[in-house]
Amino acid sequence: MDDALVSVVGARKDFHVGKITVNALRGLDLEIRKGDFLAIVGPSGSGKTTLLNLIGALDVATSGDVVVFGRELSSLSRRERAELRLRSLGFVFQAYNLIPVLTALENVEFVLELQGVDGGRREGALSVLEHLALSDLAGRRPNELSGGQQQRVAVARAVASRPRLVLADEPTANLDSENAEALLKMMRRLRDDEDMTFVFSTHDPLVVSYASRVVTLRDGKVVSDEDKNHGSSEGGRVERAN
Amino acid sequence: MTVPLLAKFAVRTLGRNVRRTFLSVVGIGVGVGITLFMTAFMRGGMDMRVRAIAESGFGHVRVAPARWDRLRDNELRLADWRGELEAVRSVEGVAVAAPHARSTALLAFGTRVAGVEMLGVDPEAEIKISRIARAVSEGRYLEPSDSEAAVIGLAIADRLEVTVDDDLLLTVVGSEGEIQYAMLRVVGVVATGSQDIDATICHVTLADVERLTGIEGAGEISVSLDDALAVDEMAARLNSVVAPGDTVLTWKEVVPGQGGDAASDRGFANALSGIVVVVAILGIAGAQLTAILERKREFAVLIALGMKGAQIVRLIAIEAATLAVLGAAAGLMLGAPIVYRTSTAGIDFAAIMGDDLAVSGVLFEPIIYCHMGTWMVPHALLIAVLSMLVASLYPAWFALRTNPTSALSLREA
Repeated sequence: MDDALVSVVGARKDFHVGKITVNALRGLDLEIRKGDFLAIVGPSGSGKTTLLNLIGALDVATSGDVVVFGRELSSLSRRERAELRLRSLGFVFQAYNLIPVLTALENVEFVLELQGVDGGRREGALSVLEHLALSDLAGRRPNELSGGQQQRVAVARAVASRPRLVLADEPTANLDSENAEALLKMMRRLRDDEDMTFVFSTHDPLVVSYASRVVTLRDGKVVSDEDKNHGSSEGGRVERAN
Repeated sequence: MTVPLLAKFAVRTLGRNVRRTFLSVVGIGVGVGITLFMTAFMRGGMDMRVRAIAESGFGHVRVAPARWDRLRDNELRLADWRGELEAVRSVEGVAVAAPHARSTALLAFGTRVAGVEMLGVDPEAEIKISRIARAVSEGRYLEPSDSEAAVIGLAIADRLEVTVDDDLLLTVVGSEGEIQYAMLRVVGVVATGSQDIDATICHVTLADVERLTGIEGAGEISVSLDDALAVDEMAARLNSVVAPGDTVLTWKEVVPGQGGDAASDRGFANALSGIVVVVAILGIAGAQLTAILERKREFAVLIALGMKGAQIVRLIAIEAATLAVLGAAAGLMLGAPIVYRTSTAGIDFAAIMGDDLAVSGVLFEPIIYCHMGTWMVPHALLIAVLSMLVASLYPAWFALRTNPTSALSLREA
């Protein structure tokens, strides 16, 4: 499809733990489309994290194809994958993982510095914080922020470089429902205003309720794919409602 | 000017574990401090050695007949000693130039006999260049107008049982192989503190040596320089003004044993400094590696954000450089007072060296003054930075190999 950002076809990922081989993904097929607000759900060990790692160019599939923005990831060098992450992908982690010695503003600005942005870097970072109503937190270090505030700053960091795709792993797991809802609203606004695509792995029903599409994994495969706008399917193939 | 966030990140990271940073700085500081002291001591020892050689009559450099270096024959003479002396004295950087003529001789008083190396000198130049000439304990040193006068060492005076104003019988071999006799009046006795040197000294005027041996001219011109470190450069410059057939030798060539000793002393001091630095590097590398291991998740996040290998190395390098600068400062704070103390009061080796302070005819001083100078600052920085860079290599390589998917379990507990 023209609006497909990510296409995963027959992806397998095996891990070797001692003499044991763990099949984390077993021929998984998935397509992520522009504008998706997609929640990946499933029991522990179903392959959610492994899938995010593959899409996020942090790991490569044992076999199968993972194509992100038209580029087959297994054909990219380490440096090219780093460049892809820096320019086109955003990450939000469960434990926020802000750089503890930098302020909120500096954490956001740091990504721009990594990108080689010179002039107006600080102003750019500040405008992201302002856009997300976080400018009053700009001068604070992570240890001076609540969990909810840290996660919102982490989202600001993830979107500072205007990535096309943001991957968030259990972003609400450490937040209370009020903060979780605020975070999800913020991300949905970014999807709507900035034309970004969000993919979550989650156990949180709140995230599922906000998602426009819910993909369920079990044993390394897609067992259902529900597009709330269009319809649902099984095995990763969406049947669209007309 | 805006400080790059990478630099802020690196510097502030050092504040995250103050105790470890403090211990690392102290570790580098101790290593740098010890190395500074050892280098200052070695330089001071070298200064003393070169000064001792120069003031023992060898000079920093020596103009000698070209064949002298191979033959070591005291009867060889310079091609045009007066012209060469004048030319050498006119070269900028020459402090003193003293002509010498040597000859083996026997001194006798009554039935007592002593073999000596008779040294013909220009008294005015000799008193400036030679510590031996200034070590007169009885009588006086030679004067230009003296004739058939001698200054002898205390050990010879004791052996011959003579004192000032006694007349000695001198026996030398003349230019044709004939035996020459002369009477010399003792005008002074020198006591250098070295039995070995005091047992060989017999200074007479250059004119007396020419007359007694029948060999005209000087066999060497000992040259003392304004800058003892410019020996090689000055030797090259002086070589251009000496007569054909003559050459300029440095003190290392004139007293090769001393050159070898100096090189081995330097090698030993460098080896000891190296061991200290290696021990410090191993300690710091351990601390750095621990710090990197503790930050494995952080590096995984940075990699996930798109940070490249070169940027990670730069981050670690800035941390290492900051530690190095702090370590160098600590090393200077530790080392400078010790170096200052030992550069002013000196380290007295009299108890170890005993009474005899001479080796290979060089009259050493028992006290070594460490060399304090501005060289200590770049030296401290160089050692600290190189140590830290080496100590950070393995931790940096380790950080680069961080696997983000295993280090950063996206689904954290």
